[in-house]
Amino acid sequence: MNKTVEEWRLLDTDAGDAYYNMALDEAIATARSRNQVPNTIRFFRWKPSAVSIGYFQSMEEEVDIAACKSMGVDYVRRVTGGGSVYHDYNGELTYSLMVSESNRLIPKDILKSYEVLCSGLTLGLSLLGIPAEFKPINDIVVADRKISGNAQTRRMGVVHQHGTILREVDPEVMFTLLKVPSEKIRDKLIQSVKERVTSINGYLGKEVKFGELKAALKEGFERTLNIRLARQETTKYEEELATQLRKKYASREWNFKR
Amino acid sequence: MGRAVYKVKGGKMIKVQLTQRDGKIEWVKITGDFFLHPEDLIEEMERMLIGSPVKEEKINNSIKEFIKERKATFLGVAPEDFTQCIMMAGEQDG
Repeated sequence: MNKTVEEWRLLDTDAGDAYYNMALDEAIATARSRNQVPNTIRFFRWKPSAVSIGYFQSMEEEVDIAACKSMGVDYVRRVTGGGSVYHDYNGELTYSLMVSESNRLIPKDILKSYEVLCSGLTLGLSLLGIPAEFKPINDIVVADRKISGNAQTRRMGVVHQHGTILREVDPEVMFTLLKVPSEKIRDKLIQSVKERVTSINGYLGKEVKFGELKAALKEGFERTLNIRLARQETTKYEEELATQLRKKYASREWNFKR
Repeated sequence: MGRAVYKVKGGKMIKVQLTQRDGKIEWVKITGDFFLHPEDLIEEMERMLIGSPVKEEKINNSIKEFIKERKATFLGVAPEDFTQCIMMAGEQDG
Protein backbone atom coordinates (compact mmCIF):
# COMPACT_ATOMS: atom_id res chain seq x y z
CA MET A 1 0.00 0.00 0.00
CA ASN A 2 1.08 3.53 -0.73
CA LYS A 3 1.43 5.27 2.62
CA THR A 4 2.07 8.70 1.15
CA VAL A 5 -1.33 8.94 -0.47
CA GLU A 6 -2.30 12.57 -1.15
CA GLU A 7 -5.16 14.01 0.79
CA TRP A 8 -7.58 16.19 -1.15
CA ARG A 9 -10.59 18.07 0.09
CA LEU A 10 -14.13 16.91 -0.67
CA LEU A 11 -16.85 19.55 -0.64
CA ASP A 12 -20.52 18.74 -0.84
CA THR A 13 -22.10 22.14 -1.30
CA ASP A 14 -25.53 20.72 -2.13
CA ALA A 15 -27.86 22.93 -4.18
CA GLY A 16 -27.18 26.55 -5.10
CA ASP A 17 -28.37 28.87 -7.81
CA ALA A 18 -26.52 29.05 -11.12
CA TYR A 19 -24.65 32.28 -10.34
CA TYR A 20 -23.51 31.16 -6.91
CA ASN A 21 -22.52 27.74 -8.24
CA MET A 22 -20.25 29.26 -10.88
CA ALA A 23 -18.97 31.90 -8.44
CA LEU A 24 -18.01 29.29 -5.86
CA ASP A 25 -16.11 27.28 -8.48
CA GLU A 26 -14.06 30.36 -9.33
CA ALA A 27 -13.57 31.20 -5.64
CA ILE A 28 -12.26 27.70 -4.93
CA ALA A 29 -9.93 27.85 -7.95
CA THR A 30 -8.63 31.22 -6.73
CA ALA A 31 -8.13 29.93 -3.18
CA ARG A 32 -6.31 26.92 -4.61
CA SER A 33 -4.04 29.16 -6.72
CA ARG A 34 -3.12 31.08 -3.57
CA ASN A 35 -2.34 27.81 -1.84
CA GLN A 36 -4.96 28.46 0.82
CA VAL A 37 -6.75 25.19 0.24
CA PRO A 38 -5.79 21.69 -0.93
CA ASN A 39 -6.75 20.19 -4.26
CA THR A 40 -10.51 19.96 -4.14
CA ILE A 41 -13.39 17.97 -5.57
CA ARG A 42 -16.83 19.48 -5.15
CA PHE A 43 -20.29 17.96 -5.66
CA PHE A 44 -23.25 20.24 -6.20
CA ARG A 45 -26.70 20.62 -7.75
CA TRP A 46 -28.65 23.49 -9.27
CA LYS A 47 -31.66 25.02 -7.57
CA PRO A 48 -33.51 26.34 -9.44
CA SER A 49 -32.64 24.15 -12.43
CA ALA A 50 -30.47 26.05 -14.89
CA VAL A 51 -28.96 26.14 -18.34
CA SER A 52 -25.22 26.77 -18.58
CA ILE A 53 -23.57 27.71 -21.84
CA GLY A 54 -19.95 27.36 -22.91
CA TYR A 55 -17.63 30.37 -22.73
CA PHE A 56 -17.66 30.82 -26.52
CA GLN A 57 -21.38 30.45 -27.06
CA SER A 58 -23.93 33.18 -27.59
CA MET A 59 -26.68 33.27 -24.95
CA GLU A 60 -29.20 34.69 -27.42
CA GLU A 61 -28.43 32.05 -30.01
CA GLU A 62 -28.42 29.05 -27.67
CA VAL A 63 -31.01 29.72 -25.00
CA ASP A 64 -34.72 30.45 -25.18
CA ILE A 65 -34.70 33.15 -22.50
CA ALA A 66 -38.49 33.57 -22.48
CA ALA A 67 -38.97 29.82 -21.94
CA CYS A 68 -36.40 29.84 -19.11
CA LYS A 69 -38.16 32.76 -17.43
CA SER A 70 -41.60 31.19 -17.67
CA MET A 71 -40.26 27.89 -16.27
CA GLY A 72 -38.19 29.54 -13.54
CA VAL A 73 -34.93 28.24 -14.97
CA ASP A 74 -31.69 30.25 -14.55
CA TYR A 75 -29.13 30.72 -17.32
CA VAL A 76 -25.43 31.37 -16.92
CA ARG A 77 -22.23 31.50 -18.96
CA ARG A 78 -19.43 29.18 -17.80
CA VAL A 79 -15.72 30.01 -17.69
CA THR A 80 -15.14 26.82 -19.67
CA GLY A 81 -15.72 26.11 -23.35
CA GLY A 82 -18.01 23.39 -24.66
CA GLY A 83 -21.73 23.31 -25.23
CA SER A 84 -24.95 24.21 -23.48
CA VAL A 85 -26.10 21.97 -20.63
CA TYR A 86 -29.44 21.74 -18.88
CA HIS A 87 -28.82 21.14 -15.18
CA ASP A 88 -32.05 19.68 -13.88
CA TYR A 89 -32.34 19.80 -10.08
CA ASN A 90 -33.56 16.22 -9.92
CA GLY A 91 -31.89 14.92 -13.03
CA GLU A 92 -28.21 15.61 -12.64
CA LEU A 93 -25.22 15.92 -10.35
CA THR A 94 -22.41 18.34 -11.11
CA TYR A 95 -18.87 17.95 -9.89
CA SER A 96 -15.97 20.31 -10.09
CA LEU A 97 -12.33 19.65 -9.54
CA MET A 98 -9.61 22.18 -8.78
CA VAL A 99 -6.11 20.82 -8.83
CA SER A 100 -2.74 22.46 -9.09
CA GLU A 101 -1.37 22.32 -12.63
CA SER A 102 1.92 21.07 -11.20
CA ASN A 103 0.32 18.01 -9.59
CA ARG A 104 1.80 14.63 -10.66
CA LEU A 105 -1.56 13.68 -12.20
CA ILE A 106 -1.79 16.57 -14.64
CA PRO A 107 -0.32 16.10 -18.11
CA LYS A 108 0.56 19.27 -20.05
CA ASP A 109 -1.67 17.96 -22.81
CA ILE A 110 -5.23 19.08 -22.00
CA LEU A 111 -6.80 16.24 -23.95
CA LYS A 112 -4.85 13.68 -21.90
CA SER A 113 -5.76 15.39 -18.66
CA TYR A 114 -9.45 15.00 -19.45
CA GLU A 115 -8.91 11.27 -19.65
CA VAL A 116 -6.97 11.16 -16.36
CA LEU A 117 -9.51 13.21 -14.42
CA CYS A 118 -12.55 11.54 -15.99
CA SER A 119 -11.22 8.12 -14.97
CA GLY A 120 -12.60 8.78 -11.48
CA LEU A 121 -16.05 9.23 -12.97
CA THR A 122 -15.88 6.14 -15.17
CA LEU A 123 -14.81 3.96 -12.23
CA GLY A 124 -17.48 5.53 -10.02
CA LEU A 125 -20.14 4.74 -12.59
CA SER A 126 -18.79 1.18 -13.01
CA LEU A 127 -19.18 0.69 -9.26
CA LEU A 128 -22.87 1.41 -9.76
CA GLY A 129 -23.05 -1.23 -12.50
CA ILE A 130 -22.68 1.11 -15.45
CA PRO A 131 -19.87 0.15 -17.85
CA ALA A 132 -18.87 3.73 -18.59
CA GLU A 133 -16.01 4.70 -20.88
CA PHE A 134 -14.19 7.92 -21.63
CA LYS A 135 -14.79 9.22 -25.13
CA PRO A 136 -12.48 11.99 -26.34
CA ILE A 137 -12.62 14.93 -26.28
CA ASN A 138 -14.64 15.41 -23.15
CA ASP A 139 -17.46 12.88 -22.85
CA ILE A 140 -18.23 9.75 -20.89
CA VAL A 141 -20.42 7.23 -22.65
CA VAL A 142 -22.19 3.95 -21.92
CA ALA A 143 -22.65 1.71 -24.94
CA ASP A 144 -21.85 4.78 -27.04
CA ARG A 145 -24.54 6.92 -25.40
CA LYS A 146 -23.47 10.02 -23.52
CA ILE A 147 -23.95 10.03 -19.75
CA SER A 148 -21.51 12.78 -18.76
CA GLY A 149 -20.02 15.90 -20.34
CA ASN A 150 -16.95 17.66 -18.98
CA ALA A 151 -15.12 20.94 -19.52
CA GLN A 152 -11.83 22.31 -18.33
CA THR A 153 -10.03 25.60 -18.02
CA ARG A 154 -6.57 26.39 -16.72
CA ARG A 155 -5.91 29.68 -14.96
CA MET A 156 -3.46 30.91 -12.35
CA GLY A 157 -1.69 27.53 -12.32
CA VAL A 158 -4.89 25.67 -11.47
CA VAL A 159 -6.74 23.09 -13.54
CA HIS A 160 -10.45 23.69 -13.08
CA GLN A 161 -12.64 20.97 -14.53
CA HIS A 162 -16.35 20.58 -14.07
CA GLY A 163 -18.91 18.26 -15.53
CA THR A 164 -22.35 16.84 -15.38
CA ILE A 165 -23.48 13.31 -14.59
CA LEU A 166 -26.98 12.49 -15.79
CA ARG A 167 -29.15 10.65 -13.31
CA GLU A 168 -32.34 11.19 -15.31
CA VAL A 169 -32.79 12.91 -18.64
CA ASP A 170 -35.75 14.63 -20.26
CA PRO A 171 -34.87 15.80 -23.79
CA GLU A 172 -38.29 17.43 -24.20
CA VAL A 173 -37.65 19.87 -21.36
CA MET A 174 -34.11 20.39 -22.64
CA PHE A 175 -35.32 21.47 -26.08
CA THR A 176 -37.96 23.73 -24.59
CA LEU A 177 -35.14 25.71 -22.97
CA LEU A 178 -32.56 25.52 -25.74
CA LYS A 179 -33.15 27.17 -29.07
CA VAL A 180 -33.61 24.99 -32.11
CA PRO A 181 -32.79 26.11 -35.67
CA SER A 182 -36.43 25.63 -36.67
CA GLU A 183 -39.63 24.30 -35.12
CA LYS A 184 -39.81 21.72 -37.88
CA ILE A 185 -36.75 19.88 -36.58
CA ARG A 186 -37.52 20.13 -32.85
CA ASP A 187 -39.02 16.63 -32.71
CA LYS A 188 -36.13 15.26 -34.72
CA LEU A 189 -33.62 16.76 -32.28
CA ILE A 190 -35.51 15.37 -29.31
CA GLN A 191 -35.54 11.95 -30.94
CA SER A 192 -31.83 12.18 -31.66
CA VAL A 193 -31.01 13.06 -28.04
CA LYS A 194 -33.14 10.13 -26.88
CA GLU A 195 -30.96 7.88 -29.02
CA ARG A 196 -27.59 9.43 -28.20
CA VAL A 197 -27.94 10.21 -24.50
CA THR A 198 -28.61 7.98 -21.52
CA SER A 199 -28.77 8.39 -17.75
CA ILE A 200 -27.97 6.39 -14.65
CA ASN A 201 -31.57 5.61 -13.75
CA GLY A 202 -32.49 5.05 -17.40
CA TYR A 203 -29.63 2.64 -17.98
CA LEU A 204 -30.07 0.67 -14.77
CA GLY A 205 -33.86 0.72 -14.84
CA LYS A 206 -33.91 1.68 -11.16
CA GLU A 207 -33.36 4.77 -9.08
CA VAL A 208 -29.91 5.60 -7.78
CA LYS A 209 -30.09 8.20 -4.99
CA PHE A 210 -27.81 11.23 -5.09
CA GLY A 211 -26.07 10.03 -1.92
CA GLU A 212 -25.28 6.69 -3.49
CA LEU A 213 -24.00 8.36 -6.66
CA LYS A 214 -21.72 10.71 -4.73
CA ALA A 215 -20.33 7.86 -2.63
CA ALA A 216 -19.53 5.88 -5.79
CA LEU A 217 -17.85 8.84 -7.48
CA LYS A 218 -15.83 9.60 -4.32
CA GLU A 219 -14.52 6.04 -4.33
CA GLY A 220 -13.91 6.24 -8.08
CA PHE A 221 -11.77 9.36 -7.71
CA GLU A 222 -9.90 7.99 -4.69
CA ARG A 223 -8.99 4.74 -6.39
CA THR A 224 -8.08 6.01 -9.86
CA LEU A 225 -6.24 9.15 -8.75
CA ASN A 226 -4.69 7.41 -5.72
CA ILE A 227 -5.86 10.09 -3.33
CA ARG A 228 -7.86 10.23 -0.12
CA LEU A 229 -10.83 12.59 -0.11
CA ALA A 230 -11.44 14.24 3.25
CA ARG A 231 -14.84 15.79 3.74
CA GLN A 232 -14.41 19.47 4.67
CA GLU A 233 -16.22 22.78 4.37
CA THR A 234 -15.55 25.88 2.26
CA THR A 235 -13.35 28.50 3.91
CA LYS A 236 -14.47 31.98 4.93
CA TYR A 237 -12.29 33.40 2.16
CA GLU A 238 -13.98 31.19 -0.44
CA GLU A 239 -17.45 32.08 0.78
CA GLU A 240 -16.78 35.80 0.79
CA LEU A 241 -15.17 35.70 -2.62
CA ALA A 242 -18.05 33.62 -3.99
CA THR A 243 -20.54 36.21 -2.74
CA GLN A 244 -18.56 38.90 -4.56
CA LEU A 245 -18.16 36.86 -7.76
CA ARG A 246 -21.82 35.92 -7.81
CA LYS A 247 -22.55 39.48 -8.97
CA LYS A 248 -20.41 38.92 -12.06
CA TYR A 249 -22.10 35.63 -12.95
CA ALA A 250 -25.56 37.16 -12.47
CA SER A 251 -24.71 40.17 -14.64
CA ARG A 252 -26.03 40.76 -18.11
CA GLU A 253 -22.57 41.92 -19.09
CA TRP A 254 -21.09 38.47 -18.41
CA ASN A 255 -23.96 36.29 -19.56
CA PHE A 256 -24.57 38.12 -22.83
CA LYS A 257 -20.99 39.04 -23.61
CA ARG A 258 -20.89 36.85 -26.71
CA MET B 1 -24.21 40.86 -42.27
CA GLY B 2 -23.05 37.38 -43.17
CA ARG B 3 -23.76 34.41 -40.94
CA ALA B 4 -22.61 30.83 -41.21
CA VAL B 5 -22.78 27.67 -39.15
CA TYR B 6 -20.16 24.99 -39.67
CA LYS B 7 -20.27 21.53 -38.15
CA VAL B 8 -16.79 20.18 -37.52
CA LYS B 9 -16.01 16.51 -38.07
CA GLY B 10 -16.25 15.05 -34.57
CA GLY B 11 -19.30 17.10 -33.66
CA LYS B 12 -18.24 20.57 -32.52
CA MET B 13 -20.02 23.58 -33.98
CA ILE B 14 -18.63 26.92 -35.13
CA LYS B 15 -20.81 29.95 -35.84
CA VAL B 16 -19.50 33.10 -37.50
CA GLN B 17 -21.10 36.49 -38.02
CA LEU B 18 -19.23 39.10 -40.00
CA THR B 19 -19.44 42.25 -41.99
CA GLN B 20 -16.94 43.26 -44.66
CA ARG B 21 -15.93 46.39 -46.49
CA ASP B 22 -13.90 46.47 -49.71
CA GLY B 23 -13.23 42.74 -49.44
CA LYS B 24 -11.85 43.03 -45.91
CA ILE B 25 -13.29 41.90 -42.60
CA GLU B 26 -14.81 44.90 -40.84
CA TRP B 27 -16.31 43.08 -37.83
CA VAL B 28 -16.42 39.40 -36.85
CA LYS B 29 -17.87 37.33 -34.02
CA ILE B 30 -16.97 33.66 -33.59
CA THR B 31 -19.11 31.52 -31.29
CA GLY B 32 -19.57 27.80 -30.74
CA ASP B 33 -19.11 24.81 -28.45
CA PHE B 34 -15.39 24.29 -29.10
CA PHE B 35 -12.50 24.69 -26.65
CA LEU B 36 -9.79 27.32 -26.79
CA HIS B 37 -7.16 27.73 -24.09
CA PRO B 38 -6.69 30.32 -22.72
CA GLU B 39 -10.33 31.25 -23.33
CA ASP B 40 -10.00 35.03 -23.49
CA LEU B 41 -7.84 34.76 -26.62
CA ILE B 42 -11.03 34.49 -28.67
CA GLU B 43 -11.66 38.24 -28.42
CA GLU B 44 -8.07 38.86 -29.41
CA MET B 45 -8.36 36.49 -32.37
CA GLU B 46 -11.46 38.33 -33.57
CA ARG B 47 -9.63 41.67 -33.34
CA MET B 48 -6.67 40.18 -35.18
CA LEU B 49 -8.95 39.18 -38.08
CA ILE B 50 -10.30 42.70 -38.58
CA GLY B 51 -8.84 44.23 -41.72
CA SER B 52 -7.87 40.86 -43.14
CA PRO B 53 -8.89 40.20 -46.77
CA VAL B 54 -11.64 37.59 -47.04
CA LYS B 55 -9.27 35.16 -48.76
CA GLU B 56 -9.04 31.57 -47.61
CA GLU B 57 -5.27 31.30 -47.53
CA LYS B 58 -4.74 34.66 -45.83
CA ILE B 59 -7.22 33.91 -43.08
CA ASN B 60 -5.92 30.41 -42.50
CA ASN B 61 -2.34 31.62 -42.25
CA SER B 62 -3.17 34.43 -39.86
CA ILE B 63 -5.08 32.06 -37.56
CA LYS B 64 -2.18 29.59 -37.59
CA GLU B 65 0.27 32.38 -36.90
CA PHE B 66 -1.91 33.67 -34.06
CA ILE B 67 -2.05 30.21 -32.43
CA LYS B 68 1.71 29.88 -32.63
CA GLU B 69 2.44 33.36 -31.33
CA ARG B 70 -0.05 33.33 -28.49
CA LYS B 71 0.52 29.65 -27.57
CA ALA B 72 -3.19 28.96 -27.99
CA THR B 73 -4.63 25.45 -27.88
CA PHE B 74 -7.78 24.53 -29.75
CA LEU B 75 -9.64 21.30 -29.00
CA GLY B 76 -12.26 19.83 -31.29
CA VAL B 77 -11.57 22.41 -33.99
CA ALA B 78 -8.70 23.25 -36.35
CA PRO B 79 -7.72 26.59 -37.96
CA GLU B 80 -9.11 25.26 -41.26
CA ASP B 81 -12.56 24.88 -39.68
CA PHE B 82 -12.62 28.51 -38.60
CA THR B 83 -11.40 29.56 -42.03
CA GLN B 84 -14.15 27.54 -43.72
CA CYS B 85 -16.82 29.07 -41.56
CA ILE B 86 -15.47 32.61 -42.03
CA MET B 87 -15.40 32.12 -45.81
CA MET B 88 -19.00 30.83 -45.75
CA ALA B 89 -20.11 33.86 -43.74
CA GLY B 90 -18.18 36.10 -46.14
CA GLU B 91 -20.11 34.68 -49.10
CA GLN B 92 -23.37 35.34 -47.25
CA ASP B 93 -22.35 38.95 -46.82
CA GLY B 94 -21.60 39.35 -50.53
